[in-house]
Amino acid sequence: MQAAVMRQASDLQRLQARTGYLFLFPSFALYCVFILAPVIVTCILSFTYFDPMQGSRWVGLDNYVRFFTDDRSQQIFWNTLRFTAFAVTGNICVGMLFALALDRKMPGILLYLFRLAFFLPVIIAAAFVSIVWGYFYGDDLGVINYYLIRLGLSPVHWLTSSRYAMMSIVIMDVWKNAGFFMIIFIAALQGVPKTLIEAAVMDGAGYWRRFFRIVLPWISPIVFFAIVYASIGALQVFESIVILTRGGPGDATRSMSIYIVEEAFDSFEIGYAASIAVVMTVVILAITILQFLASRAWVRH
Amino acid sequence: MRAFLTGLLVALGLALTAGAASADDISANLRLMAFGSDAQLTAVKHAIERFNQKYPNVKVEVAIDPVSNGWGDYVTHVLSQFNAGNAYDVYGTAIETFRTFEERGMFIPLDDYIAKNASYSDFDPSLFKYSSYQGKTYFVPIGWNNIMINYNRALFRDAGVEYPKTWTWDQFREVAKKLTKRDAAGNVTQYGYEVPNQNFFVQPWFLTNGTSPLNADWTASNMLDPKVAETLQFLHDLVHVDKVSPIPGKDAMDNQFAAGQVAMINRGHWIIENAKRAKLDMDIANVPSKLNGDTVIGFGGYGVSKSSKNPELAKELVGALTSEETQKEEGELGGGVPGRKSAAETPGFLAFPPSAALYYQTLPHTVPVPSPANFQEAEKIFMRNYVAMMADEISIAEGVKRTDQELNASFKRLAAQQKAAK
Repeated sequence: MQAAVMRQASDLQRLQARTGYLFLFPSFALYCVFILAPVIVTCILSFTYFDPMQGSRWVGLDNYVRFFTDDRSQQIFWNTLRFTAFAVTGNICVGMLFALALDRKMPGILLYLFRLAFFLPVIIAAAFVSIVWGYFYGDDLGVINYYLIRLGLSPVHWLTSSRYAMMSIVIMDVWKNAGFFMIIFIAALQGVPKTLIEAAVMDGAGYWRRFFRIVLPWISPIVFFAIVYASIGALQVFESIVILTRGGPGDATRSMSIYIVEEAFDSFEIGYAASIAVVMTVVILAITILQFLASRAWVRH
Repeated sequence: MRAFLTGLLVALGLALTAGAASADDISANLRLMAFGSDAQLTAVKHAIERFNQKYPNVKVEVAIDPVSNGWGDYVTHVLSQFNAGNAYDVYGTAIETFRTFEERGMFIPLDDYIAKNASYSDFDPSLFKYSSYQGKTYFVPIGWNNIMINYNRALFRDAGVEYPKTWTWDQFREVAKKLTKRDAAGNVTQYGYEVPNQNFFVQPWFLTNGTSPLNADWTASNMLDPKVAETLQFLHDLVHVDKVSPIPGKDAMDNQFAAGQVAMINRGHWIIENAKRAKLDMDIANVPSKLNGDTVIGFGGYGVSKSSKNPELAKELVGALTSEETQKEEGELGGGVPGRKSAAETPGFLAFPPSAALYYQTLPHTVPVPSPANFQEAEKIFMRNYVAMMADEISIAEGVKRTDQELNASFKRLAAQQKAAK
């Protein structure tokens, strides 16, 4: 009797498991077809010279050797890291400042207006934003230079000089994306218990002391998420650079994702492009792992 | 089985005799990829109407590519279509792409069709020569473009400068200086010239100095020729010493030319269409000479793709697209100088710009734009380094060295791939 009950229960379990797998299947199948398979194919391609019309061949590590010995790819690699460092710092800091500025008592209508104003750039496609900023940054007919000249200052080569081009793109990126982090941080700030803050106020702690000692540690998991999220996005930066500078002047603003697309679909060096994509994946993975390791020291869950 | 085969043969025979009997009975679908703007599309549609008078049951589907990002991008599109097994039957394309397509055997030879069609003798023979590869002709030429100096006549009159006829590099430089205007603070309000930001437009500067970025048969770099560096230095100095041109950027200055903010630009006949519409008071002049007065030529042509299921019909469509009527219409609408001489001598074509006859007169002094089989890569290498040199990011000496290394690496990869493919 006992045994029969057991078997019945395990039948039910099996049935439940089967149903569970059945529910999992669609998303797992999609994952295999659209993510796992391309990843595997890219890894294989990175060891070949791929030409579907004239025939492909195995080239071993040639593509990787080319990537690691080429001056261009090294500059592009550092460009990507540089952009990531500046854009992530800018986005997180500006987003946090906006959030702190809006996390206070003010008339509701004003609050909504400010939030909307700072968040609007996030929902506009990067392509449109970049075209508009292209007009701002123009050398001779640009809006910014027009006012600089009016003020008696000398115009700046925003996009045509490697000294400023990367910074110009970072400025646009921060303008566009800081609003997203602002919204996340506002939500996080509202989760900080009022009692803690009030206790600190009674103890005589100033605003910034309260921020660094209580608020920031409290929301540190959210800040950590924002940093990881912003880093992955920045490492993959593409359309804003393509539209503003096409990676120029020279290679001054070319990012790895632009390089991949150019090698794959302009030069038809599909194998080489695949090897860059593999390197980029490894870099993103390594940076994310580093961030997770570092987070143990400062994130308090 | 035998009965079935016999039946099949009879059916085939009937189909063939029927086809020979009347073009009315042929029904098929053809896909055509043309390039250009609205004007070309109109001319192409009229050509298809004429084609359909003969073949009323052949449906022609047209797509048009504006080639706004240059021919390298166009090659990319076409290669992707072939790779995806989704190639069009007929392609309009340009010399920059011929070698890439020919080496990959993507198009069928048209020699027999051209030989049958006596009216093709109206084309300048050099155009057919440039359309051939290893003794076979794969493309029927259509419009061509040679780069001339396009200048705003009103700005010349304002500056009290005579309209140019023939001139040297140094004379050109002086004219550009006179046409550059600055405000009290020294900021430029009107540029004398646009140092080109595209591969095709910049070529005359090399040619008139008796050199080219690539060697004569387009198989290696020629960047280390001191004349290449000399040419680049001259252009660099126009930007940074004389300050008669802005730093070449991402966008070509066609709009600024139309708005009178830049007095001279290097362009081909395609800008005439817009100039007419904008009632721009402009004319063309020969490129300034140094060792010679050669300019660069690029041209389009139609070819039939190897994967076409109806190659004979596709050839007939190419015939309609390159007929005298189509060529005349295209010539008068603008977009290129017609390949047929008769079409380039119509009053409509010669009406504007005032020196329109110069286009055909300079044809004997033209050299085709360097178009190696790795064009899309070679062009990008050259332009990336060229822009960096013009922006003063790297010195000319460093720039030519880097371009040379990159170009030769690309040619080496191309040779390795061609060897492996054989």
